[in-house]
Amino acid sequence: MEYEFHAHRITGGIGADDRFWESLEEGEFRLPRCADCKRWMWPAHFRCGQCGSWEQLWEPVEMSGRIYSWTRAHYAFDRTKERAEDVPYVVVVAELPGADGARVVGALAGPDSGVRCGVEVRGHIDPPSTKSKGYPAVRWSVVD
Amino acid sequence: MVNTMLRGTTAVVGVSDTPWYKRGTSGEPALKLALRAIVSAAEDAGIDPSEIDGFVSYGSERNDGQRMMPALGTKELRFGALVWTHGGGIPGALGLAALAIVTGQADVVAVYRAMSEYRGRRLRVDVAQDDTSPQHLVNGLDSPAQLCALRSMRLIEAEGVPARTLRDMALASYHHAKRNPRAIGRDTELDAETYEESRWVSEPYHLFDCSRENDAGSAVILVSADRAKDLRQKPAYLLGAPMGAAAGWGLREESGNPYWSAGFQGVADRLWADTGYGPGDVDVAQIYENMTGMGVSALIEHGFCTPASAGEFVTFDNLIAPNGGLPINTSGGNLAEGFIHGMSLVGEAVRQIRGTSTNQVPGATLSLMTGGPGDPVVSTALLADAAAL
Ligand SMILES: [Zn+2]
Repeated sequence: MEYEFHAHRITGGIGADDRFWESLEEGEFRLPRCADCKRWMWPAHFRCGQCGSWEQLWEPVEMSGRIYSWTRAHYAFDRTKERAEDVPYVVVVAELPGADGARVVGALAGPDSGVRCGVEVRGHIDPPSTKSKGYPAVRWSVVD
Repeated sequence: MVNTMLRGTTAVVGVSDTPWYKRGTSGEPALKLALRAIVSAAEDAGIDPSEIDGFVSYGSERNDGQRMMPALGTKELRFGALVWTHGGGIPGALGLAALAIVTGQADVVAVYRAMSEYRGRRLRVDVAQDDTSPQHLVNGLDSPAQLCALRSMRLIEAEGVPARTLRDMALASYHHAKRNPRAIGRDTELDAETYEESRWVSEPYHLFDCSRENDAGSAVILVSADRAKDLRQKPAYLLGAPMGAAAGWGLREESGNPYWSAGFQGVADRLWADTGYGPGDVDVAQIYENMTGMGVSALIEHGFCTPASAGEFVTFDNLIAPNGGLPINTSGGNLAEGFIHGMSLVGEAVRQIRGTSTNQVPGATLSLMTGGPGDPVVSTALLADAAAL
């Protein structure tokens, strides 16, 4: 499969999360686990610091969790100008019990009045778009 | 056990900042500003600039010693290094300079930082070094203000630290700036109402919670404690400057614990262990506040208060010179004096030991400077008068 985000590659970070973005483009939400000791390894890295394994399994995880933290961005900075018309927009860090509390960032979809640490959220996957810089993206929304 | 190799064996003997310019208005490239700061820090120390044989900086500094040596008349460049990663590295840069001196690698080391948008990149981009993860950029997070906002939101909502502590840090900085004729924010009348009414940048941060880059250069000169005794200025001895990240930290993006941390878990403990002092002994502190909330986290992690007592400790009255329990950012700090990646906080920490701050804490003998909070690697330093050795 050809992945769109490859053509828009963001060079920051350590670059161990390609499989994350590929999965999203395939319409699946997957996070990495050490293939040997089965520890969840998020954010993704190249080697398990606990057991030394270089292999990861990318397992489907339920997109359901709680807001660990959040911010309402009132200014679109240089490299996120694509969201200028959305200002103010809320970005959420969701904690996912399905992956031992891994925290996954995503913009908030829908009304933001109930946003607070601890509030339940559910995620869905957006295909690559200009707003997400040519990458697919996770969007969280508050569960009523 | 105190670290006898590093404790008090070197001293800062020269400090200087160029004037502060609104970004892009200095009319001089960063390298020239670095030269100006280094030359005048050497003059402040009474050392000829040609004697500087070590150059240490941090973050995205690109004005390395080799590029400046022709202009400094450098007799021999013997040591040069850059400390990772961003503003977290400043006190660590002092520590690295001290290591070079005590191991005989260099005799006179300049630690400095210069930034300019004149013929340079947008400072915001320069400081960020293009290493922001797609996990952030894809989701609308670019600025350190936004990334730090996430941590401070957790500090407020989950740890119960009052949002008012952020405001009081900002008020203290602007209060101090009024008496500092060099401060960019000296004429800004900031009170609680102006703060609350200022626009949001990224909640919980208002405009006045966030530092903004300036064109400027800032430098300090370190030598051995022996040599320091014979120089022009009262030495500010370096007692310790550990750098690091605790297990489970480093590049953890949003998964570090505690999430509200500024990164000083373990690092602050080592500062106290290395120096033989504790938070209760500190007379004055320059707390790197890229954003106020991260400064609050740094205070907590250095043991000045806990999340539960932060509301009592982090108050305007307690943070201002001369009589607060812990006067902080007495030059106006990154917020109100000017932001050159935090470097000018070192100079102010030294001036407090010399007794020459425009907001002097009477008899200050122990002066703390904490590095850029929220950086994956941070550092922190304690400077002292001879009486505290
Ligand atoms: Zn493993």
